[in-house]
Amino acid sequence: MTDDGSTAANGRTLAVHLTVNGRPITRVAGAHFTLLRWLRDAAGLTDPKYGCGEGICGSCAVLVDGVPVSSCLVLAAQVDGADVVTASGLCEPDGSLGSLQRAFHERHAAQCGFCTPGMLVAAAAMLAGGSTPSRAAIRSELHGNLCRCTGYGPIVDAIEAAMQADARQAGQTGQPADVAAEAP
Amino acid sequence: MFTRPFRFERAERLADASDLLRLHGDEAKVIAGGQSLMPLINLGLAAPQLVIDISRADQGRGARVISAADGYLTIGALVTHARLAVDEVAAGQQPLLCAAAARIGNSRVRNRGTLGGSLAHSDPAAELPLVMVALGAEYEVSNGERTRPVRAEEFHLGFLTTALQSDELVVSARVPSLGPGWGWAFAEFSRRDGDFALAAAAALIRSSDGAIIESRVAVGGVSDRPIRLADIEAALSGATAQEASGRIGAIRGISPVSDTGASAAYREHLAQVLVRRVIAEACQRSEAA
Repeated sequence: MTDDGSTAANGRTLAVHLTVNGRPITRVAGAHFTLLRWLRDAAGLTDPKYGCGEGICGSCAVLVDGVPVSSCLVLAAQVDGADVVTASGLCEPDGSLGSLQRAFHERHAAQCGFCTPGMLVAAAAMLAGGSTPSRAAIRSELHGNLCRCTGYGPIVDAIEAAMQADARQAGQTGQPADVAAEAP
Repeated sequence: MFTRPFRFERAERLADASDLLRLHGDEAKVIAGGQSLMPLINLGLAAPQLVIDISRADQGRGARVISAADGYLTIGALVTHARLAVDEVAAGQQPLLCAAAARIGNSRVRNRGTLGGSLAHSDPAAELPLVMVALGAEYEVSNGERTRPVRAEEFHLGFLTTALQSDELVVSARVPSLGPGWGWAFAEFSRRDGDFALAAAAALIRSSDGAIIESRVAVGGVSDRPIRLADIEAALSGATAQEASGRIGAIRGISPVSDTGASAAYREHLAQVLVRRVIAEACQRSEAA
């Protein structure tokens, strides 16, 4: 990393190791790199976006050890060793679209697309562990993700559709369907 | 996003962070959850030479613990808002704290943001400093060599300004547990969920045989720090829940500002409305308690 003229010798760069979407990645980058900048500029994952820089808009949202965080408000060095999932990591193991990704596509839940990676991550956090939030709860939880195009309707539709698809899938694979239905 | 480069050090113990602060002075900033410091850095309002990470400090020790003993609830400074909002010990001892923590920002802010960070940042519209002042909390602050207690009302001095010395960190906060007969309430108003509150209020009321015996009321967002409303507390004494509303006069001792969010007059109006609401709600809970 020479973009700021610094070297490891003066402590301004350091190596950070993360598992990103199941893939171990180690990069030496500026000590001041946020997780977002590390993902985008050091690791080449451009799905999380820089929006507000204040934790309000949600376009940089990623899962760190399973919980959503604003990657623009976390230093990469702080979460060294963590497991990170971005929107592109919400796919099936074979790389095909995951249920949320597919539902967003089918319900036209993206227009300009800038908020979409954060919306997907927020949705994944909402549905984690088979949770089945009400439509009102989905709308409420999305207050942390700003969209200036869609009016949110198609996004909420897509999250509900993915939730139902996940429940059907759970039923078909022999898991009790009410695991999803009874979640708080 | 393209911030000035800085160095990064991880402190294994809070005391190590104090050592580094003594060594580097104003050039160093401490980061825990980062939900207050990182916006300042991203917006160019803070440009430290060194950032000291305490987010992994004191594993399994006091700064991470929530505990109850002898009528008090103690919360470690590194406890996240998300954890405080749902912690069973905290909810059993002082549910006002949990209700306030659940209203902070959005889930991403709550997942990273810490109690100590919010208190030390001392934003006048923040939820936790407000409820700490309402509860008469006492903070334990330490520079690694000397630990001292500071009352919440004497800690929050003004806009982003606290009684912390340059090498001190908040270690924990201690609040009285909710006693028998006490009711509580928290309310805030913001343009959108997750925004900083234009005004906020918290109340604790103890009543017996239908009359208010004791009360604690505070407002946030309408001054450079949370303000306890001693006049209103005194006026409520002896009132029934029905009489309480009529005894709430003008809110004195606040200094709301006008900005792009709201006018000073509107903030004052909101404070008045919210104070009435939290007092009514706290009365109801007190009677049910």
